[in-house]
Amino acid sequence: MAMIDEPLYPIAVLIDELKNEDIQLRLNSIRRLSTIARALGEERTRKELIPFLSENNDDEDEVLLAMAEELGVFIPYVGGVEHAHVLLPPLETLCTVEETCVRDKAVESLCRIGAQMKEIDIVDWFIPVVKRLAAGEWFTARVSSCGLFHIAYPSAPDQLKTELRTIYGQLCQDDMPMVRRAAASNLGKFAATVEQSYLKTEIMSIFDDLTQDDQDSVRLLAVEGCAALGKLLEPQDCVAHILPVIVNFSQDKSWRVRYMVANQLYELCEAVGPEPTRADLVPAYVRLLRDNEAEVRIAAAGKVTKFCRILSPQLAIQHILPCVKELSSDSSQHVRSALASVIMGMAPVLGKDATIEQLLPIFLSLLKDEFPDVRLNIISKLDQVNQVIGIDLLSQSLLPAIVELAEDRHWRVRLAIIEYIPLLASQLGVGFFDDKLGALCMQWLEDKVYSIRDAAANNLKRLAEEFGPEWAMQHIIPQVLEKINNPHYLYRMTILQAISLLAPVMGAEITCQKLLPVVINSSKDRVPNIKFNVAKVLQSLIPILDQSVVEKTVKPCLVELSEDPDVDVRYYANQALQVCDQMMVSS
Amino acid sequence: MWKQFLSKLPRKSSASGDSGQCSNGTGIQRTSSCGSVPSARPASAIRRMSSAVFPSSVVAGIEPLVSFKDVPNSEKQTLFVSKLSLCCVVFDFSDPNKSSVEKDIKRQALLDLIEFVESSSARFSEAAIAACAKMCAINLFRAFPPNYRSGSSGGGEGDEDEPMFDPAWCHLQLVYELLLKFIGSSSLDAKIGKKHFDHSFIVKLLNLLDSEDPRERDCLKTILHRIYGKFMVHRPFIRKAVSNIFYQFVFETDRHNGIAELLEVFGSVISGFALPLKEEHKIFLWRVLIPLHKPKSVGLYLQQLTYCVTQFLEKDPKLASSVIIGLLRYWPIINCQKEVMFLSAIEEILESTSQAEFQKCMVPLFRRIAHCITSSHFQVAERALFVWNNDHIISLIAQNRQVIMPLVVPALEQNIQNHWNQAVLNLTMNVKKMFSEMDEDLFSSCLAKHKEDEEKRVSLEVKRKLTWEKLESAAAFQPVTGHTAVLVGHQPSANMIATLI
Repeated sequence: MAMIDEPLYPIAVLIDELKNEDIQLRLNSIRRLSTIARALGEERTRKELIPFLSENNDDEDEVLLAMAEELGVFIPYVGGVEHAHVLLPPLETLCTVEETCVRDKAVESLCRIGAQMKEIDIVDWFIPVVKRLAAGEWFTARVSSCGLFHIAYPSAPDQLKTELRTIYGQLCQDDMPMVRRAAASNLGKFAATVEQSYLKTEIMSIFDDLTQDDQDSVRLLAVEGCAALGKLLEPQDCVAHILPVIVNFSQDKSWRVRYMVANQLYELCEAVGPEPTRADLVPAYVRLLRDNEAEVRIAAAGKVTKFCRILSPQLAIQHILPCVKELSSDSSQHVRSALASVIMGMAPVLGKDATIEQLLPIFLSLLKDEFPDVRLNIISKLDQVNQVIGIDLLSQSLLPAIVELAEDRHWRVRLAIIEYIPLLASQLGVGFFDDKLGALCMQWLEDKVYSIRDAAANNLKRLAEEFGPEWAMQHIIPQVLEKINNPHYLYRMTILQAISLLAPVMGAEITCQKLLPVVINSSKDRVPNIKFNVAKVLQSLIPILDQSVVEKTVKPCLVELSEDPDVDVRYYANQALQVCDQMMVSS
Repeated sequence: MWKQFLSKLPRKSSASGDSGQCSNGTGIQRTSSCGSVPSARPASAIRRMSSAVFPSSVVAGIEPLVSFKDVPNSEKQTLFVSKLSLCCVVFDFSDPNKSSVEKDIKRQALLDLIEFVESSSARFSEAAIAACAKMCAINLFRAFPPNYRSGSSGGGEGDEDEPMFDPAWCHLQLVYELLLKFIGSSSLDAKIGKKHFDHSFIVKLLNLLDSEDPRERDCLKTILHRIYGKFMVHRPFIRKAVSNIFYQFVFETDRHNGIAELLEVFGSVISGFALPLKEEHKIFLWRVLIPLHKPKSVGLYLQQLTYCVTQFLEKDPKLASSVIIGLLRYWPIINCQKEVMFLSAIEEILESTSQAEFQKCMVPLFRRIAHCITSSHFQVAERALFVWNNDHIISLIAQNRQVIMPLVVPALEQNIQNHWNQAVLNLTMNVKKMFSEMDEDLFSSCLAKHKEDEEKRVSLEVKRKLTWEKLESAAAFQPVTGHTAVLVGHQPSANMIATLI
């Protein structure tokens, strides 16, 4: 484009656009800030654009959010890292707005910029921002500051470091719970940058205070940081400081706190070492597995495998396994479901004998659970057990479970089991599959629900991939092609779809001999939907088929369809013809 | 004042017939027998809370104590304390048959205590006050069980579901009643009482307002109001603690069951503010009440919220424009129900807005209203046009027609040309007629201006596109600091690539 007529004032364009009533236009122009910056050049971006943005912060939150995001990647446009500090003032202002999303994004961008800044620039520019925000009058500024300390701290000289730690300590005792929550949830990140000696003293005392906060919400976040903090400490310090806290929390009267503990107890085991694990954490975990509150048991049950992996098999069998047995008949289906989704992973941990003796009965009872999710979860992880004990021991109970799920009245359940059929087929082997599951796979092609038919067609493709074309020629293709005469057009359509999916797997020859004739035949169908699907399928077959076959069989059929009375049929036929022609040209 | 305030507010929670109305001021009406539930819902629909609420300690048998009638006056306070400590035993209600005799003893003790507090004229000793605070704390302060209804998806629209009821309600209710009577009793010396009903007690009491049970929230509301009235020293703290709940609700969690109740209490708190309003209170309006318009569940408490806001405006009419601008800032973008509610709230505020205040916010306001008029959702459009049914607002509009008409006329024209809804069309025609009768000349000049703008619009659009294209190509010629990739996170426009090549 030639640049004639009037001269261009990029900033003026932006100012003009930002005045527009239409928020979409304002948003668009902010999204193109980098264009304006490049048009201005680095220096004018620094001296004109950024100051303008710093002042233009009275817009709607959506615009501010976009601005916060754009500024995070703006370093190249202001002249590189050495000038990065000019970006701090507008972001600092955005850190103080009311809307949480904007603040979070501004903090994120500040961290991103700070991480690239030189140490000296951090001290000169970044740390003052952190300090100003931390001393902010309104809580939003102080909340934002909590997320910046971990960037600022490592570059600070000793004296400033002391100051930063003190400020963080103050934030943890702020008058407003909002600020204390932010400080608590960022404590782990900050602690990771603090030197070991201060970790043990100052950070731990901050942590202790937070765990005794009178607001439940603050304590909850403190628990969340437990594991992160524990990993930073030396094992003996972790045992001395974190362990008592978490054991105490595991008996907190608020279920939310216990829930948090249940979720991350296993992470602490590594930090404290085997002996305290056995003495303190295992009993705490067992208590959580038997908690009164189902929600807590769900969390604990979901971690059972991870926890056992850390323990010796003996401890796991002795202490955890009895609980697992109880949980397998828990009154809450969600607990059983959580257990079922991980329990198979215990097999490799416990070894063959214990698995057969102890776990197998549990698997079997879960496979007969009245709640379909439980059964599904077991089936989905079958490969993990297969490695340890082989599948034969399970296959007896497996089949009824699969059949029942396959015919469940909720289509989502049927869908879920279809997803696992290829996995099952690979684990159970061809023989088992042919006998028991083959018929099911065909039955799904005629399901009442579209998603199931769709998944069934896909499933056939995956099976053909798994067992190879020869097997498919025997066990899939004839049965599928038979169904093309179904009186209902929706079922015929499913078959067409299955054909288009199977063709690439089966290869040119089989496609040409077996599949193509069926498709061509369907072009005479009385239903237009079938006819335009024929056109679509043919289009997908073109790359697979031989040039001559396309010329001789496919093209005439498409030409005929392109003269169909139905507009959609003509449309798709023409599209396919175009592809035909392109193939001709390119070859 | 309290009564008056309650009578003004149509009540939402009165569905649970038995305790819905505390407005007589005497306190909480109790159900006649243990374990009975509001008659409105079938017993089978009641969800039992899980047992985690109760400490699992096994309850030792408790013995009934003598009745207050049977002891001399001098010993009554001692008996009061004894009965209170008896009531510190908390029972597991998840099994209705468990220790039913003991449960009944406790119930009777609570009833005795209530009667005693009602009739007592002697001052409560400090021991009695401490025991009462302790008993209430032990019985009332508990963690609520998880909320299964909203599930992990956390949809905020779950308000149609059955609330969850604590099976221990028949005891809790009596404890609440006792607390209410106790705080309200003239025999309670506020100076001593404030030591035991302290900040920690108040924070925990406020936490209970998240209860799903409307009866419980109702009790708490009344008690909170009493505490605010009785303990003057705690007032600033209560205001701060409640603000914190609001902040957490608006900026963090987006869910809390007791917002409406808290606002109800605040409605009367605000009406008690002295004039001129302190800066602290104005900050509460701007930083708390206005942002409270944002959460998606605003419909559940908007009535109480608007009441609070109008209380402020009654105190200081000069706040009106900043309130309206605040509302415009939180205007819903895609939620039509909310938009209709906002329009109603705006109308209510405009009712009491003066000319001077109106002029400060009329431009953004009528830009927004014009936008609503053309909404394809007919209820929004209708509600916006209904504003012209209000005589006070019409007179405000008429006096400022030079500014407002140019903003609104294009919207009217747009509706007349292509709004799908007949009712909206009719209303639009009415407003149009009103405008042309108001000022014929101005109206037709607005109309002409609108036509002109319409014609210019396309060329403006083209010009904008052209400007950006020029910017793109200008940008492409500028060097960018070498080492860093330029296109971080941006899709290069086709135009720019073309120029680069």
